[in-house]
Amino acid sequence: MKGEHLGELEELVLLTIGSLYQEAYAVAILDEIKKNTNRKMDVTAIHSVLRRLEKKGYAKSEMGGATAERGGRRKRFFVLTQVGRKVLDDTMELRVSLYNKLPKLAFAGI
Amino acid sequence: MKAQPPKWADRFLAWFCHPDLLEDLQGDLYEIFEQHLTQGHKRKAKYLYIWLVLRSFRLSALKENQKLKNSFFTMTKNNLKIAIRVLWRDKFNSAINLVGLTLGITCFLLLGLYVKQEVTFDHYHSKKDRIYRSWVKEDYGDGREFFNSHTPLLFEALFEDNFPEIERSVQYIENDFLVGRTENRINEIISLISPDFLEVFDVPLIYGDKSTFLPSREHIAISQSYASKYFGLENPMGKTIAVEVDTLIHDLTVSAVFEDFPVESSFRFDMAISTENGRRIYGDRLYKAWFNIIPETYILLKEGTNISSVESKTQEVVLSQGVTYGDEPLEKDQYQIGFQPLTDIHLNPDIPLGTAPVGNPQYVIILAAIGLLVLIMACVNYTTLSAGQSLKRSKEVGMRKVLGASKRTLIYQYLSESMVLAIVAVTIGTGITFFLIPTFNALTGTEIFFQFEWWHAGVYLAIGLAIGLVAGTYPTLIITAFKTINIINGSNQTTGKLAARKGLVILQFLVTVFLISTVLIMRNQIDFLMDKDLGYDYKAVISAELPIDPNGRGIRDALQSGMANGELLKTKLEKHPKISKIALGNHLFGSNGWTHVAFNDDNDDFKWFRLLVVNPEYLNAFNIEPVQGRNFEVGNGLDKRQSVIINQSAAKYFGLENPVGGKLPGPEFGEHQIIGVVKDFHYSSLHTEVEPLVIVQNIMPIFAGVTDADVKDSYSPKIVFTYSGHNLHDAIEILENEWEVLFPSEAPNFEFIDDRISRQYESEARLNKLIGVATLLSVLIAALGLFGLIMIVANSKIKEIGIRKVMGASPLSIFRLLIKGFVLQLLLAIILSIPLTLYLINQWLDNFAYRIEINSLPFVLSGLATLFIAVAVVAYHTILATRVNPIESLRVE
Repeated sequence: MKGEHLGELEELVLLTIGSLYQEAYAVAILDEIKKNTNRKMDVTAIHSVLRRLEKKGYAKSEMGGATAERGGRRKRFFVLTQVGRKVLDDTMELRVSLYNKLPKLAFAGI
Repeated sequence: MKAQPPKWADRFLAWFCHPDLLEDLQGDLYEIFEQHLTQGHKRKAKYLYIWLVLRSFRLSALKENQKLKNSFFTMTKNNLKIAIRVLWRDKFNSAINLVGLTLGITCFLLLGLYVKQEVTFDHYHSKKDRIYRSWVKEDYGDGREFFNSHTPLLFEALFEDNFPEIERSVQYIENDFLVGRTENRINEIISLISPDFLEVFDVPLIYGDKSTFLPSREHIAISQSYASKYFGLENPMGKTIAVEVDTLIHDLTVSAVFEDFPVESSFRFDMAISTENGRRIYGDRLYKAWFNIIPETYILLKEGTNISSVESKTQEVVLSQGVTYGDEPLEKDQYQIGFQPLTDIHLNPDIPLGTAPVGNPQYVIILAAIGLLVLIMACVNYTTLSAGQSLKRSKEVGMRKVLGASKRTLIYQYLSESMVLAIVAVTIGTGITFFLIPTFNALTGTEIFFQFEWWHAGVYLAIGLAIGLVAGTYPTLIITAFKTINIINGSNQTTGKLAARKGLVILQFLVTVFLISTVLIMRNQIDFLMDKDLGYDYKAVISAELPIDPNGRGIRDALQSGMANGELLKTKLEKHPKISKIALGNHLFGSNGWTHVAFNDDNDDFKWFRLLVVNPEYLNAFNIEPVQGRNFEVGNGLDKRQSVIINQSAAKYFGLENPVGGKLPGPEFGEHQIIGVVKDFHYSSLHTEVEPLVIVQNIMPIFAGVTDADVKDSYSPKIVFTYSGHNLHDAIEILENEWEVLFPSEAPNFEFIDDRISRQYESEARLNKLIGVATLLSVLIAALGLFGLIMIVANSKIKEIGIRKVMGASPLSIFRLLIKGFVLQLLLAIILSIPLTLYLINQWLDNFAYRIEINSLPFVLSGLATLFIAVAVVAYHTILATRVNPIESLRVE
């Protein structure tokens, strides 16, 4: 369906937002992704993905409290929206159903 | 202190970043910075910070504030749209401006291409920066200075053996050879080049291999066009061409076919054989001779070497070789070797001429300046016209200002207009140039060509923008300087700006008058050169080079055998009534290469003269008359053996009061007697004064006392004859028939003397034609500019003219009204142009030993021509203005 498409990186970031629950802001998301996938990327990529997700309505953000290590600047925390949660569920469902259709004996030929 | 991220990066981030995003983005960047800092990577942290700031500079993060939106970048599209609309709305003015600019650009491009060709001569060789041509200068201090770019044969080995800085040295010799086996053997120029020539110069091969270019002296390499000349469409590789080398006919095998040399190449040979053939022709003795110059020697420096390090050692090397002059050992500086960069050869007249012709750098500068001048004129044209138009647009400006347009915005907008126009003009001008080149080449005798590569598009765009900027700045400033309040009030805007505009109009007239008078004066000088009484008859004279005895050794044998062959042919030709005045001589008019000989006179002073060897009929055939004494007599044995005729310059140079009956002032000359003095006829070009000349039938008595001899032309004797009436075709047929019987193996090479003579002034004639083209275009530009200007004046006075007409004014009074402003400017331009033209043209005229005196006629003519254009244009507008019904003009507004 148009407009509900979720890119691979978008999906990854969205999942990470969900898993971090209340602690999801850009640097934390970046660290989490690096830890789980060992992928090389920088924070600006996360930022642009976050902006896209927010624009699509899959995530929403609010400013948190300031910390000294950030030069007194506040963090922008992201949480999943209802729509975001639904998109993730749909995606997962699609994957699982497709996965289940893989023939059991697919490896027989090898 | 704790490390901070770079301030400027922070500031940059704050400048472009959308305020909603700034805080958390910056916070994140800080946090990452801190992370790296705690790991102890201070420098890495800083670089990463900068990198991340730059990475954040993307569209989604950009600020949407007022400042950015109004900047030049974002407004460009809008400006362009408006500019195109404005230009389209006022089609007539845009067309005048466009045509003017296009003409200027076309002229600039045509002359520019020619200039570019001249200054980039030989630049196409990939090793050009390391290639040098050697020269040799002998200077014995008593006026005997011999400076040549032809060098001794031993230089090639000398350079390679004694200078580790020199990677390679190669020889280049051009020589006449007879090509073909029996019938119609023709004289071809074949170059003798070192087999490793291609290691130094870029000569693309079509067939053959660089490593086996000229594998032995039995091989020959030919150009593409000669391949088709001799072999048609066949592959010439491995086929043979018969060439007579040192009396024997050799079948040389084609070992390579190379592409024809490009126009901008000093080398233009079509056939090449190995320099090893030189051993067959010159003999071993010449390979050790220091004072016999034959080849041009080129060197390839090793990379990273400076030529001065080689040059500083040459003197030492020469002295260490034990060179002697006569019996005396050479002293320091008596024998100098120097080097000239390859890319310098084509335009450096200070080094003596080698094989390749040398262009005149002065002419290149003149043409570049004129190309630029015409382009500037086109810009001035645009400037004056748009400045004139500016009044029309004052309301628009006022409106924009009232609506809050800043001065900067207005400047951008008006400059966009001129730039759009200039870019269109450059595009059209480039197209016109492309199609005009064949005509231009045919008209001016140039060989320019146009090769478009994609990176040129950028250059043309830059030229267009620059022209737009130059031409558009002044009118833009005028327009934007209008005071808003005055515009709204409707008061006059142009006062105070008129002086500058008048100045520009004067400048334009000045260039026009200058160019017209320059062309006229040049034309006069060239006509003068062509029409000047040279002191001999040369109309309807045909010449052909005679075959010489192939077994002979030296100049004397060559002359004698050639003369004998000539006498044979002469007796045959004499039977034909249509051919008359048959004579023989070893040089032809219209060349600067006549035999140059030197001797030591009775006081042991160094003297020189030119030597001409003739048969007794020669002077009569050309109507060269003796002013003292007598001419050679046919059948006079004493004349044939020892008589000498000199010209007036020689008599003066040798200080002979009564030369007839006397001798030349050298102790070593043999038995000879001066029997006559002829008037100074101009045997070489009028660039130089007539030089002392000695005419003999037998060179032996003179050659006995000669210490140096130098012949630039071929020394083979030539037969000359005139034909009566309009029987050129018959005459050539007769010559061909008789020639065929006598010399069946060699084809005759005809030449017309008047062709040779006019060819001496080829480069002047070309210069004149090139400037002629520029003049034509500049006159058109000026006329167009004037046309536009007067239209503006007429439009601004449209009400005045209407009222005058209602009051009964005649067309003449309207004409007077319109032209009033321009007459004074034109006069001023003419007056200013005279000293400028005189100064510059005199510089050019100094190139000639014989030149015209400048009179006032060219200035009068060019002034009248310009005046005529002005009057014609004004008259046209007067007719237009008088045709308009006053009701129409007065009803405006």
